[in-house]
Amino acid sequence: MENAQQTPAPGTLSWRLSSHPITLLTFLFFRVSSLLVYLFGLRLFTSNFVLIFIITILLLATDFYYLKNIAGRRLVGLRWWNEVDTATGDSRWVFESADPETRQINATDKRFFWIALYAQPVLWILLAVVALASLEFIWLTLVVIALILTITNTLAFSRCDKFSHATGFASSAAFGSGLARNLAGGMVSSWFRR
Amino acid sequence: MAAMLPSSSTSNAPYDNDAVERDLIDPDDAALDDLDDPLQSTSDRAPLVGNIQSGSSRGANTQSYLTSSIPGEDRRAPTNTIDETVWETLSRDLLAIWEKMKQVLYPKYLLGGMMQRGGGIGAAERGEADGFGGSIRELAGRWPDADVILQGGMSDGLRDWDLWGPLVFCLLLSLFLSRRAKETQKELVFSGVFAMVWVGEAVVTMQIKLLGGNISFFQSVSIIGYTLFPLVIASLLSAVGLHPIPRIPIYIVLVAWSLAAGISILGGSGVVRNRVGVAVYPLLVFYILLGCLCFIS
Repeated sequence: MENAQQTPAPGTLSWRLSSHPITLLTFLFFRVSSLLVYLFGLRLFTSNFVLIFIITILLLATDFYYLKNIAGRRLVGLRWWNEVDTATGDSRWVFESADPETRQINATDKRFFWIALYAQPVLWILLAVVALASLEFIWLTLVVIALILTITNTLAFSRCDKFSHATGFASSAAFGSGLARNLAGGMVSSWFRR
Repeated sequence: MAAMLPSSSTSNAPYDNDAVERDLIDPDDAALDDLDDPLQSTSDRAPLVGNIQSGSSRGANTQSYLTSSIPGEDRRAPTNTIDETVWETLSRDLLAIWEKMKQVLYPKYLLGGMMQRGGGIGAAERGEADGFGGSIRELAGRWPDADVILQGGMSDGLRDWDLWGPLVFCLLLSLFLSRRAKETQKELVFSGVFAMVWVGEAVVTMQIKLLGGNISFFQSVSIIGYTLFPLVIASLLSAVGLHPIPRIPIYIVLVAWSLAAGISILGGSGVVRNRVGVAVYPLLVFYILLGCLCFIS
């Protein structure tokens, strides 16, 4: 959220200001559509549970993929993935970020991206509370899957952002002096201690 | 230390300008031979940058290793995937999915075993359906052969796991199995099968991990999910209402196909030789259970 607040006035939430309007609109479509299908399916056409379930899951998976692989790097120049070391079987997180000097990130894109990224898990948590309160345990499984997918993406991208700031900081400041590295490490760790 | 070294082939790609500046600062403990060798500048730089870049993440880990922080690494574009086109991303991922499907459609162990023994795992599998005790020993007796066939290890295509296969096959399986259920029980059958597949994959994976397999959790879930493909065919046959009697041989072959694919892919996961049978047994139970579900539906 702090990223959204730091943006200057030109970054108003209008898709016309975006430098990748198609990517942005597709991204927002996938983000919203899974929620809408779930809500309307739950309230209006509950008779066909299986169909709504499948559509929602597929939309969630597409949203996850699109955000992770396409929207993330086109809108804010960040990407993360998980890599497996075949020798040991350990998995590592790898974060990639665009060089800020060669790539100018549009403020509108950035704001849209981070707001959508953080709003989605909050909305699904609300729906989880509703599902729990109304004892809809079958629907709860769907909400749990949605939560896992959206929260994974949110955590990974916020971490990716911190990583890119931290390394950019450490390499531009006097390298090797412990101060910059401690500061960067502190920033990352305080973010994850929440 | 091994985790810091760049292991993937992409790490040898040239780094950005920052790395060149860093390279100008010589390490304190460097010997005379290490310094300013123009012939080996790239190979010297790679491990050096690896150490430096993971420095900040290391610091974070030691401070907060009790929290949920997961060790990671930041790569300032050694592999430049940030600026690629959408089509490049899509085609690479589709190719990776097809690579995994090929491994399932053409299980190495099944075909290798058939060539060598004339019956292979299929024969052992048919014995399995009759009586558990004797055939397990028979199955275990075959494992040294399996190890020989599987020595190739895991292919590169399987290193990059994804969950599209498990998701789609799990949904199809649940959908087909719930087609023949009664109107009132459809939801229960669907969500029951759906949950059972995921829980089953998780349990089998935990078993392999606990037995010392060198495989990550999601990688194994991904592989097991892809090997559900023959069982999806079985559930489709059930959904269109195949007669119970031809079901028996067809389903046994399909379960054997799944098992052969699962073993031949998971074979590279580094489970200790004597324990391969134990590690794969839950997988067998899982496939047979799903096969029975397809049969009775």
